[in-house]
Amino acid sequence: MKERELAHWVVARGQEQGAGLIEAFLLKHKSFSVQVRHGKVESIKQAQEVGLGIRVIVEGRMGFAYTSQLGTAPVKEAVSQAISNANKTAEDEFNILPEPANQIPKVDIYDPAIEKTPVEDKIELAMALEEAAFNYDRRVVRSEQAAYEDTVYEVTIVNSCGVDVSYRGSFCGGYVSVVAQENGDTQTGSGMDYVLNFSALKPEVIGKEAGEEAVAMLGARKVTSQRVPIVMPPRVATQFLGVLVPALSAEAVQKGRSLLAGKLGDMVAARDVTLIDDGALPGGINSSPVDGEGVPAGKTVLIKEGVLQTYLHNTYSAAKDGTKSTGNASRPFYRGTPEIGPSNLFLEPGRTSKEDLLQDISQGFYITEVLGMHTANPISGDFSVGATGLWIEKGKLTYPVRGVAVAENILELFRGIEAIGNDLRFYLGYGSPTLRFKPIPVSGE
Amino acid sequence: MLGKRELEEILAIALQGGGDYADIFLEEKISNLISCEADRIERINSGREAGAGVRVLAGNSTAYAYTNDLSLPALKEAAYVASKAATGQEKGVTNIDLRKGKPLVDFEIIRRPEIVPVEEKVEVVIRGNRAARAVDRRIVQVIVGYSDIRQRIQLANSKGDLIEDERIRTRFIVHVVAAEGGIIQTGYEALGGLAGFELVEGDKPELLAQRAAKQAVQMLTAKPAPSGRMPVVMAAEAGGTMIHEACGHGLEADLAQKELSVYTGKLGGRVAAEIVTVIDDGTIPNKYGSFRFDDEGTPSQRNILIENGILRSYMYDRLTAGKDGHHLTGNGRRQSFAHRPIPRMTNTYIAPGQTEPEEIIARVQNGLLVKKMGGGQVNTTTGDFVFDVSEAYLIEKGKITVPIRGATLTGNGPEALREIELVGNDLGFGIGTCGKDGQGVPVSDAQPTILIKQLIVGGTG
Repeated sequence: MKERELAHWVVARGQEQGAGLIEAFLLKHKSFSVQVRHGKVESIKQAQEVGLGIRVIVEGRMGFAYTSQLGTAPVKEAVSQAISNANKTAEDEFNILPEPANQIPKVDIYDPAIEKTPVEDKIELAMALEEAAFNYDRRVVRSEQAAYEDTVYEVTIVNSCGVDVSYRGSFCGGYVSVVAQENGDTQTGSGMDYVLNFSALKPEVIGKEAGEEAVAMLGARKVTSQRVPIVMPPRVATQFLGVLVPALSAEAVQKGRSLLAGKLGDMVAARDVTLIDDGALPGGINSSPVDGEGVPAGKTVLIKEGVLQTYLHNTYSAAKDGTKSTGNASRPFYRGTPEIGPSNLFLEPGRTSKEDLLQDISQGFYITEVLGMHTANPISGDFSVGATGLWIEKGKLTYPVRGVAVAENILELFRGIEAIGNDLRFYLGYGSPTLRFKPIPVSGE
Repeated sequence: MLGKRELEEILAIALQGGGDYADIFLEEKISNLISCEADRIERINSGREAGAGVRVLAGNSTAYAYTNDLSLPALKEAAYVASKAATGQEKGVTNIDLRKGKPLVDFEIIRRPEIVPVEEKVEVVIRGNRAARAVDRRIVQVIVGYSDIRQRIQLANSKGDLIEDERIRTRFIVHVVAAEGGIIQTGYEALGGLAGFELVEGDKPELLAQRAAKQAVQMLTAKPAPSGRMPVVMAAEAGGTMIHEACGHGLEADLAQKELSVYTGKLGGRVAAEIVTVIDDGTIPNKYGSFRFDDEGTPSQRNILIENGILRSYMYDRLTAGKDGHHLTGNGRRQSFAHRPIPRMTNTYIAPGQTEPEEIIARVQNGLLVKKMGGGQVNTTTGDFVFDVSEAYLIEKGKITVPIRGATLTGNGPEALREIELVGNDLGFGIGTCGKDGQGVPVSDAQPTILIKQLIVGGTG
């Protein structure tokens, strides 16, 4: 059975068995990855995977089941299991499924070149990545791994309200981590990029970034505890954006676990900050015509000039708040129900160049890598992370620093943005320019 | 699961490109998850997944192909794809004779999840929710999650090993949010084991929920953590995140062999204080990181990594053991059939010492007592690590004084291990999902109460 046919069959069967509302979500993907080290292939992986997630709503109660086996028997069993699970969850009038949309955005997210490019060329690309890192400087002595990977996927969503969509997408990416050595000191650096088009992947650029970072850290020292202004390049800034994001979920707000609850219309960040989520962003790695439950993807301005405009919604949270879904039902796998998540989320760039951002800082810390970002608490907003980077003196980047920690509350941090660079760059689904922040505590000796 | 003949046929195809070694890993996983939030049962998800991965080793390179189509033609195709990607000099092996392997240990599962009615599982979640909410009126949200997984695996390799196993794991988590006057704090507790429903029987859901709730409430009135270098006491109940990060990852053989570990080339050398012995043990009954066989079919073992401060062994999978000419240690693990095995920890701990925990605290003039650790991360190449502290107190003149919040501890692995000054006679475990190369596997870690001379506390105060 073809995917769409199977999805319709699931919906019909569920309805026969008493599921008032039912949705079938099918994901099919094919992936390839190659990892090389010191010019030799270390591993190659090729895969094919399919899966089906079934969500039913019986008298306001939701149940869910999934299966990776698409034969008639396991699919029938999953339908029955979803219905039986629904019988034991709590009733909630806002458990509904979306209606079909009048218009769905056209997004260009499938690049045939990704499937067509021969394996040999992909291996060569991974090798080129590593070579570029080694070529940057002779102190780059070892590589941890250089890799190329790609995925081609197909999504099908059919529900009993009439939603019936399917689309195909693909992406590819590369990364490399290397070690630089000098006078007994060892430091690491990495580079990565994920893009929609094969031709947009630039191994030289990624490799050079890794080499540059490792070499820049050689001879790193510790500093004493102090409060200084912080500057973050896009790669680091996007990681901090990731800590703020859970607070933007309407579900988190409704359940009392968001820092931004009750703050619609309030100034929640510095005046220059405009934060956007765009599920149909041209070139966006997470762009798609519809979200994980079939609602059209689109642009949502979350923070405009520092003021909180809206939260991110899926169909459930929107029904509860009496508003429209923002198309942010996130569903990376078939194994779970659609939750709320960002698509392509970015901070709008300003006009200042990176050099000008540093200019009037007499003492400051330019962070190039953080350690333990996942330990930040998205509910309280408190974070304390290990950091390495370069010390800023009189407006210039000087010696490398490691083994220190920086701590603050994420909202305080975003309120303290002093300047925004003009160099917006995306790392997977998050984008940011270089940012300069007011002084925060740096813990050291 | 497949028959002996079919497995042999697939392995022969996998080696037809001249690889040195091949294995096939088949997996079937049935999982159930129940969650409660906003005072009601919100999700009941069930699922079934199955798939297989074929691996071929040729020299130092690995080819891996996986599929969740378990038909014989699809598996042969996967074997063919892998054979094409790893070619070598070996002549195709045709006479693989599979023999069933036996584990060195066995674990008792008392109540298998499939015989426990859903109502009973829902009940423990509701009880956890109720217990947490009853602790304090400042509690604004409680999330309780119960999950069980039944994983059946079959592994066959070209050395003739055939193993079949079943792993049942159960997990119970409680996440509590407390708020007062614009401050939000959280508490988190988790219980997990290679165990059935017995893991959550009796008053365990209530006790766990109350602990998480008290933690969240306690942190509302905590002072911001200090910043700077100071002595740190880690209580046994804090869990073992420190040892997992400061030492465990760096002792995984793949990283050590690639010279990406501060512990590279240090076998037989002093890497920690003499009172420190570190063990990784996959055989401890019913712990979260335990198993009978690893994901390459090697029986689980108890491995002494550091003995009285001297580095004795790394943790190996088949590929890295082959390179070092070392025996298999039972550390070849993978997240699922979609991943190739790599060296991973199981249950990692610092062995208990002689000192009474109270005595350790009494020895500190000014320092920090860590009662509960969160997650962490390490750069194995430099040895620099951080880990999150979710509950901590100041120690002043040998006495525990005020609670503090928002701290991360930063240090360097070998430096911290050398600066362990006292080791308590107690032992406390923590559980978690350890991430490496995009793969998550269940682990536990543990330590006695220990005193580290100095770590950097990254607070805001």
